[in-house]
Amino acid sequence: MAHRASLLLLALCAPAALVAFCVDAAALRWVAALAVTTFPVALITLGAARGGRLNGLRGPLLVLWIVLAGSFLALLALPGGGPDSLFGLPLGTVLMLFVLVPVPFILVCWAYAARFGGFILRDEDLERLRRLRKDGEG
Amino acid sequence: MPILHRPLLVATAVVYLLVNLAIGLWALRRTRTPKDFWIAGQGIGALVTGLVTMAAAFSGFVFLGGPGLTYRIGLSSLFINLPIGFTSGLLGWSVAKRLRLLAEVREVYTIPDALLSRFGSRATSGTAAVAILVGVVGYLGTQLLALGRLLESVLGLRDWAGGHSLAVGVAIGLAVLLFYSVAGGALAGVYTDLFQGTLMILAAVAVFLCAMKAGGGLSGIAASIAGSPRFGRQFLEPFGRTPVLTALGFYFVFGIGVLGQPHMLHKFFMIKDPRRLRWLPLTLGGSQILCLLIWFGLGLAVPALVAQGRLPALAQPDDAAPLFLLRFAPEMVTGLAVAGILAAIMSTADAFMNIGSAALVRDLPKAWGRRVQRELPWGRIATVAVTLAAACLALAYNDLIALLGTFAFGTFAAALAPALAVGLNWKRVTAQAATASIATGTLLNLLLEFLSRQTFFPALPKPPLPHGALLAAVSLAASFTVLLAISALQGRGGREELPEAVSAVLEA
Repeated sequence: MAHRASLLLLALCAPAALVAFCVDAAALRWVAALAVTTFPVALITLGAARGGRLNGLRGPLLVLWIVLAGSFLALLALPGGGPDSLFGLPLGTVLMLFVLVPVPFILVCWAYAARFGGFILRDEDLERLRRLRKDGEG
Repeated sequence: MPILHRPLLVATAVVYLLVNLAIGLWALRRTRTPKDFWIAGQGIGALVTGLVTMAAAFSGFVFLGGPGLTYRIGLSSLFINLPIGFTSGLLGWSVAKRLRLLAEVREVYTIPDALLSRFGSRATSGTAAVAILVGVVGYLGTQLLALGRLLESVLGLRDWAGGHSLAVGVAIGLAVLLFYSVAGGALAGVYTDLFQGTLMILAAVAVFLCAMKAGGGLSGIAASIAGSPRFGRQFLEPFGRTPVLTALGFYFVFGIGVLGQPHMLHKFFMIKDPRRLRWLPLTLGGSQILCLLIWFGLGLAVPALVAQGRLPALAQPDDAAPLFLLRFAPEMVTGLAVAGILAAIMSTADAFMNIGSAALVRDLPKAWGRRVQRELPWGRIATVAVTLAAACLALAYNDLIALLGTFAFGTFAAALAPALAVGLNWKRVTAQAATASIATGTLLNLLLEFLSRQTFFPALPKPPLPHGALLAAVSLAASFTVLLAISALQGRGGREELPEAVSAVLEA
């Protein structure tokens, strides 16, 4: 299910991004923003899914998408980058520096490390591959 | 570039170069097999993998070009760096694990090797090898030119070499690079990258702290820039000085395009135990974030200092970093920064030298159904050949190399990202789809960039794209579309039977 969903998202985002980058229309900027923020989440989902399931990663990936897409839509919506905020920087810039980088970073590092041994690469996967290699060499 | 010819800086540069030579000598004794030469004997850990991947990825552009770009276009330049938040995780989930596992079941030392194992097609791997070689020459050429210019400035070569000072600078840098890369291949590359990556981080953090202090803190910097007629508040806004399409294009290309950068992906073959990949996002992403502090710090501090009247307005934006170092940084920090910039350039260059020589000695022969018997000596010869070719082209055809170099990242992205990111995770991607995608990405990006920038044939039209559209973004999106469309059209009937071991890798 997760595998198919990610492929479907990629199949939508790739041509959408292509059109948005090739055609001059203000409305397409929103399409481009959604496409470029959905793309990485779709690719991560494609790589992370095992047997069509995400096993505990659905939540973190959904949060990741909300942070990325939500931030970009906010950046587009804020006129002139928004009012002055932290350190006298425009609100949009504060969003870029203090949300768009650290939040995804903490999320992906934690999700990857926490789920690694049980889901991303199990010892039995490695043993199977090493057995197959030995059989092939034999 | 401003003259950086001061005794401490000269000493720093010389000591730095000598350390690299020493590492090369150490590696020479330990490089005995092709596996040592191409993938450092597959013996490195997670922390080293993260650090050397960062060092290979981040060239002198981060230290020199980045602050200069920010000076020109404002904080919109940060859209290039924002994907750092997720790219290390994306690499981990999407390609790193499966690339390393392919190396577990097959003799996989290069990205074309991986594509050959996955798709069983010499056309696919050969097309990738050609794309890599084209990108390598461009990327390597620009690194060598940058290295030459920096050494020219630091060593004061203009005083005694006159009009040949750039060539002499390139030659000095080339000599060091060639020594350790030929002697030790990837083994030397990894340990010099470890040294270089550490220097880069130390330099970036030190310069960032100096920049914040000199500018008056982030609040003071923001106020100076916002109140300046030259820069104004627009400089600080996300889309202030750049079309929205350009910013979104930066985010897309540098966010997804990392999945196609061979000099980064190649490092994953070197990790000793695939289970250590657990720490890849943390080590890689963390080191990248620390290194990018210099881009952010100088990118803001220099305009602020210009706004405050403490620096003259820059004639060349790329002088932002050297001018700041000369006038505001303590001598020790400037020395560290010079070493850091040399490190950034050389760590990227040696990665390209290795994969370029692998393309010549290993990937292209295999695509023709041949195998070079003595890969180690031929690998060393090919390293010299690729590097000298890039250097000669760079010195003879400055503009062409700049053209090739600036779009090399986009070429790699468009060529390789779809075939790897989707191909390693979806069994239905066929060799035909992968080959078509690689060819589309490579040719389209080269064509668009050539039409956009060339001045050799004035009658040729510019690409018919909206203002601000990033050409690499168009090629990357097109390449993904081609791969997905062909895979979908071929349906389950087009799916090829995979060897059991390769199938197991895709299922792991």
